[in-house]
Amino acid sequence: MGILSVLDREHTVAPPGYSRWLIPPAALAVHLCIGQAYATSVYKTSLVKHFDASQTAVGVVFSIAIVMLGLSAAVGGTWVERNGPRKAMFVAACFWATGFLVGALGIGTGQLWLVYLGYGVIGGIGLGIGYISPVSTLIKWFPDRPGLATGLAIMGFGGGALVASPLSRQLLSLYDSGYDPDVSTSIAGGGALVGLFVTLGIGYFAVMMFGVFSIRVPADGWVPDGFDAAAVKAKPLVTTANVSAANAIRTPQFWLLWVVLFCNVTAGIGILEQASPMIQDFFRGPDGKSTVAVAAAAGFVGLLSIFNMAGRFGWSTTSDVIGRKPIYAVYLGVGIIAYFLLATVGHTSTAVFVLLAAVIISFYGGGFATVPAYLRDLFGGYQVGAIHGRLLTAWSAAGIAGPLIVNGFLDREGKPGTLTADAYRPALFTMVGVLTVGFVANLLIRSVADRFHESSETTVEASR
Amino acid sequence: MNQTPRLVISWLLVAVLLGYGVIETLITAVKIFTS
Repeated sequence: MGILSVLDREHTVAPPGYSRWLIPPAALAVHLCIGQAYATSVYKTSLVKHFDASQTAVGVVFSIAIVMLGLSAAVGGTWVERNGPRKAMFVAACFWATGFLVGALGIGTGQLWLVYLGYGVIGGIGLGIGYISPVSTLIKWFPDRPGLATGLAIMGFGGGALVASPLSRQLLSLYDSGYDPDVSTSIAGGGALVGLFVTLGIGYFAVMMFGVFSIRVPADGWVPDGFDAAAVKAKPLVTTANVSAANAIRTPQFWLLWVVLFCNVTAGIGILEQASPMIQDFFRGPDGKSTVAVAAAAGFVGLLSIFNMAGRFGWSTTSDVIGRKPIYAVYLGVGIIAYFLLATVGHTSTAVFVLLAAVIISFYGGGFATVPAYLRDLFGGYQVGAIHGRLLTAWSAAGIAGPLIVNGFLDREGKPGTLTADAYRPALFTMVGVLTVGFVANLLIRSVADRFHESSETTVEASR
Repeated sequence: MNQTPRLVISWLLVAVLLGYGVIETLITAVKIFTS
């Protein structure tokens, strides 16, 4: 236990003069690793071939991981707050790396259930704990710019896929000479997949350890130079009081924000899940052939990932200037217009289509990155990580609802490979409705009532 | 306390990882859209 005590919160308090700009890279070290979860499509076809299973059977691995992300973030949030970021990040690294190693064992022995257990369940717990672990620490270090701080970290989750996609392709070609990294339909053998999972597990553990040993919590009472708490308090909806996680879920504000996040993510996932076939279907000629090649559609997906990442940092940082409620009004309000235009004029040119999709995806990313700062504004910094964890159940729910809405409409319109822009209109107009619900929910958000606030003695005691 | 080396190493790690991802993605996109 002596060695592990270095992970305790009391051993992570920053000495006087410690630069707060060392904290975002520590958080990014974790988020860049767990963001790999968005890059599973790179080896999905190889897994399907290796296990001789259906697309759905292999796709379930990713679904389990995302559901476990939401559940572990919700259940483990209070534990993360109590034990501090270093121990939480260490636990996340252990789960994430073990998930890959158990997954590799499953691939090596041909047992798909071990991949479910490894990458899906164990890795998914690592995802959830890792996602929320640096959030409240960043907010404490950057009380003047919480949107910038959490935007930087959560940008890493979007960036993780950008790193993992090419890295996975290059590793697969290293372990399997028959695999062509430039061909999206190329299939790698089981040995190469085992090698990939083991390499990623060990590599990600090493990078996350960098974050574990770099992270620090600020000393009690620390504030950045020139920070004026009165100026923060003067902003609308921003509280200097604190609400516990247990009380937060009893407030209408929490559930309104849950609806806001759910609607924003549902709308974004609708595009993200369908991006590659969607751009081809929008530009399908009367002869049934699309003017957009399969390979170009794959490049479009990569571009969307960049806008997803940029939106997380750019929009979240902007929220520090214009406020959280107005920025969500932009995400949802302009999102309504963008979805409407996509449905009505998106098929007129690829430039218009790509531009509108990029705007929508940047709002999707921005919604994720800004929500921790919104929670801090409403509920204070006392248990913001735990509250954030509970709110992420909206992500899990949207992960089911978004694809269901889009695929449900498309299944009625025809078979894949024969669809046109017209087939997407019902789904896109439904997303306009979903975003409208989110827009109204955001407008209804007011300050949290005093009766939910903790006494100052409670929060001071708990922070020790 | 001189923290400059730690700051440089920390942000360099982030820049290398993210830079690799962005550049590789852009290269792929350019190849695909121009082929």
